[in-house]
Amino acid sequence: MFQVIGGRSVPAARLLAPRSAVLVEAVRGRKSRTDPVAKSKEGRIKVPPPVDPVEMVVLKERYTEYQLIMSALRLEFKEEVLRKKYEEETGSQAEERVRQEAEEHRSLMAWNNEENLRMLKARILRVQQEAEEAQRKKIEAAIQREQEQQEFIKEKEREILQLQEEVKNFITVENLDQRIEEALDNPKNYNFAIDKEGRVVKQTALQ
Amino acid sequence: MVHLSSLLLKKYHGGHVVIRLALAGHKQANRPFYRIVAAYNKRARDGRYIEQLGSYDPLPNIYNEKLVSFNFDRLKYWIGCGAHPTKPVAKLLGLAGFFPLHPMTITEAERQRVQTEKTETNTDMCQVTLDNTQVTI
Repeated sequence: MFQVIGGRSVPAARLLAPRSAVLVEAVRGRKSRTDPVAKSKEGRIKVPPPVDPVEMVVLKERYTEYQLIMSALRLEFKEEVLRKKYEEETGSQAEERVRQEAEEHRSLMAWNNEENLRMLKARILRVQQEAEEAQRKKIEAAIQREQEQQEFIKEKEREILQLQEEVKNFITVENLDQRIEEALDNPKNYNFAIDKEGRVVKQTALQ
Repeated sequence: MVHLSSLLLKKYHGGHVVIRLALAGHKQANRPFYRIVAAYNKRARDGRYIEQLGSYDPLPNIYNEKLVSFNFDRLKYWIGCGAHPTKPVAKLLGLAGFFPLHPMTITEAERQRVQTEKTETNTDMCQVTLDNTQVTI
């Protein structure tokens, strides 16, 4: 029923003389259904405003005329709305629009198909070329591998030959005594001296 | 979070469309401005409307004119779809010439005229009596 508010929006008169402890503001529908009638309004009988019969007759006439015209207008507007809708759907313009749209659609579809064909051809070419490239690469790789294999074999053969040559200088059980004798007879001196300019001196004190 | 879709897509049972004045939310005290609006019957006065069909400024401007605007094309459409205009909107449209003149406008004008004539005659009578008294004095 009452709304309690802060002090800012309340006019001065209410500020100066509040009977209640809190500041209250009048809100629509002040009284609830259980509140009693005010003392000043106890014997009041509510009377509707007086009606002038002459004016009322004239007013009724005017109202009938007004309502007639209004209903006629409403029907007119309704008819206009319906006609517009009808023309929108099945008018002369609508057919042309439909035809134009269909034509546009057909042309666009044709263009699309052409594009697809073109892309197809390009794709086929590309795929062919890629296949050829791949084939070539495969062949080249095979050749490379063959070559490497051959080189490997040759390398191994060379090593074998070198080893066979070195076999002649190996020390075996039979040569052992001979080689020991030889080694003892020919002492080899591995000592040498070198200075900062790189001059090597092989002559050293033997022991 | 408020679920917004249910607030926007309210379904009313047996509601109809009305063309009425809605207060435009300028939030200025003592300066009203109305929008002429097609809205559902059950919506708040200033709440969501279907379409705005014009405006009305109730306070007169510097040339003492009250400005009103209408979108007659859309108005015809909505009335053809069965919208009800309210009394003030009907009166405004009557004054504009789109509708016939509302009966109450005519009766109010007649009453106003009678009132002014009565006050004029009263002032004349007062003037006359004053002169008479003066003369007698």
